Amino acid sequence: MACAMCSTRAPDGKAAMSELLNIDDLHLEFHTYDGVVKVLAGVNLQMRRGDVLGLVGETGCGKSMTALSVPRLIPMPPGRITAGRVTFNGEDILSKRESEMEAFRARHVGMIFQDPVTNLNPLFTIREQLVDAVLYQQAQGKKVPGRWRGFSPSVRQLRKEAHERAVELMRLTGIPDGDKRIYDYPHQFSGGMRQRVLIAMALAGDPDLLIADEPTTALDVTIQAQILRLIRSLVAQLGLTVLLITHNLGVVARSCERVAVMYAGRVVEESPVRELFRNPKHPYTRGLIAAVPQKDVHRGGLEGIPGIIPNLINPPAGCRFNPRCEHVMDICRESVPPAIDVGAGHRASCFLYPEDA
Amino acid sequence: MNIRFYILRRIALVIPTLIGLSILTFSIARIVPGDPVGLAAGPRATEEIKEAFRREFGLDQPLPIQYINYMTGLFRGDWGESLYTRRAVINDLRVYWPATLELTTAAVVIATVLGVPAGVISAMYRNRLPDHVARVLSLFFVSFPSFWLAMIFQTWFARDLGLFPIGKRLPVLVSPPAPTTGLFLIDSLVQLDLETFLISLRHLFIPALVLSFGAFASITRITRASMVEALEKDFVRMERAIGIPYRVIIFKYVLRNALIATITVISLNFGWLMAGAILIETIFDWPGLGLYAVEASLSLDFQPIMGIAILYGVVFSVVNILTDIVYGILDPRIRYG
Repeated sequence: MACAMCSTRAPDGKAAMSELLNIDDLHLEFHTYDGVVKVLAGVNLQMRRGDVLGLVGETGCGKSMTALSVPRLIPMPPGRITAGRVTFNGEDILSKRESEMEAFRARHVGMIFQDPVTNLNPLFTIREQLVDAVLYQQAQGKKVPGRWRGFSPSVRQLRKEAHERAVELMRLTGIPDGDKRIYDYPHQFSGGMRQRVLIAMALAGDPDLLIADEPTTALDVTIQAQILRLIRSLVAQLGLTVLLITHNLGVVARSCERVAVMYAGRVVEESPVRELFRNPKHPYTRGLIAAVPQKDVHRGGLEGIPGIIPNLINPPAGCRFNPRCEHVMDICRESVPPAIDVGAGHRASCFLYPEDA
Repeated sequence: MNIRFYILRRIALVIPTLIGLSILTFSIARIVPGDPVGLAAGPRATEEIKEAFRREFGLDQPLPIQYINYMTGLFRGDWGESLYTRRAVINDLRVYWPATLELTTAAVVIATVLGVPAGVISAMYRNRLPDHVARVLSLFFVSFPSFWLAMIFQTWFARDLGLFPIGKRLPVLVSPPAPTTGLFLIDSLVQLDLETFLISLRHLFIPALVLSFGAFASITRITRASMVEALEKDFVRMERAIGIPYRVIIFKYVLRNALIATITVISLNFGWLMAGAILIETIFDWPGLGLYAVEASLSLDFQPIMGIAILYGVVFSVVNILTDIVYGILDPRIRYG
């Protein structure tokens, strides 16, 4: 039991390095009273087993919506996927029925969110929530016998094992005295500890993919560092595949191997982390990196990218960055730039680069 | 804070509440214009007869003394007697109160058993057909006067279909079970008298159902509203994201969050129904406290009025304490202190 986490799950009939997640030309709209918001306009994203991919971009660029499309948790309505495919392990997610999705989420995906205070249910003990996470993720959509059936020895055994697994998960995520603290309620934990509990819940079923949506944004700086260290050590220990969403380039630099930059509903550049910082190609990425405050530059204020994020009800035609771009050309206002190879594993969607490079 | 200590303290706090209530009722019952003695002694009573009446009931003494006499009697179990019937109030309450308690409790149970699931379904299928049905039903039930619905139900189910008796707690020829609690359902069960149990259940059903409609509507609406609110919480998305089935999320995790508001409304309804049962009791010839209270008030029969006020005060306090205890069971963040 204790070592179930340590072994990487055998990939389902595929080679270990095969493609795990493929988001292909995903278009998402939100219908609001003001009009149709084109939130995602052709997102492309690929992840392989073992990848740690950072997804960066500013508020409202569609990072979270891209992530939520994998467990299919985008509220619909008002959301509507108008084009594109999401495949996971070769399975088409968008065509699944909701009941199949419940099993899918239990089996393949773990997710942690921004605010550890509101993401735990305040009325239930950690034990109740964590044991349920273990039981339902192990059941993978099948029925779980309720606690009221505790008179049956097999049920009691099942719940006892789930309890042991829950304590083990607490140890794994660095919560001291898990065997005692499991009986506590969420409000008896600090913010950092609650985020650890949430990570434990997400990992309960040994998921293929962990999606972390700004997991450190609501925490204070020292706790942020601890949580990132925890995620990194879990990646090393368990061989997790992680999609890490953040607006903080520093977090990406420290925690990820690859990074995808999003702007206004599209992925504009994708590259290994070092390459991106050393050699950013897309004008938006360059602006973003230039905007990171440097500790050795004390003259002048903070750099910024001129202009504001476009209104996604009436987005600019062509490249959505064109109104803010210093290299803007006529073609940028007419058509959407395709993703072009600009280096080893490095792709940028910009007309500045010749397509055959 | 220890919960036992908290309950003891809450019970202790009931005493000042009841003293305040008794002073208020006592004053109102005495201050209202009208001469209870004149009413009780009859139109042709001489001044001497009225004077004798006053002396007998202690009405010749100053008000504060009267109050103190009443209160000391209360603690000895002497709740005074009616000016008219000369029966002891405490005995009347013993006879009428269980009928009202049985009717109100049954109504609250029906309203809760139907209203909470209706609210949950409403919230699950928000703005879809089941939601519309539940909302129209609850609007229907609050909008129609209960006495009208009572008569319609009486006509349909009792007269036309003959499914249920038209009124009363039991038929004239059936003798009530020996009174342990005075609640026929419980008394007959205690004596394993299934036949009487079923008969009194049939008598209880329609009055309790009609009485429950208003409460059903408010319980449905508050459950729906708080379920909708709880469903928007972040933890619902988190629980879905990690693969907890939606029905488990609804019935286990979200429902408990929504029940806190619902419990409040249920306990308030219990009070309202007790006070409001009078119309239903009249229509169904239900020998409850409502009719007794109205007769006492109309004839300024102050001893029964006092008795009823004190009894209701105690019941309200008990319901409130129970509600607070249930809060604490539902929400661990509530600390007693």
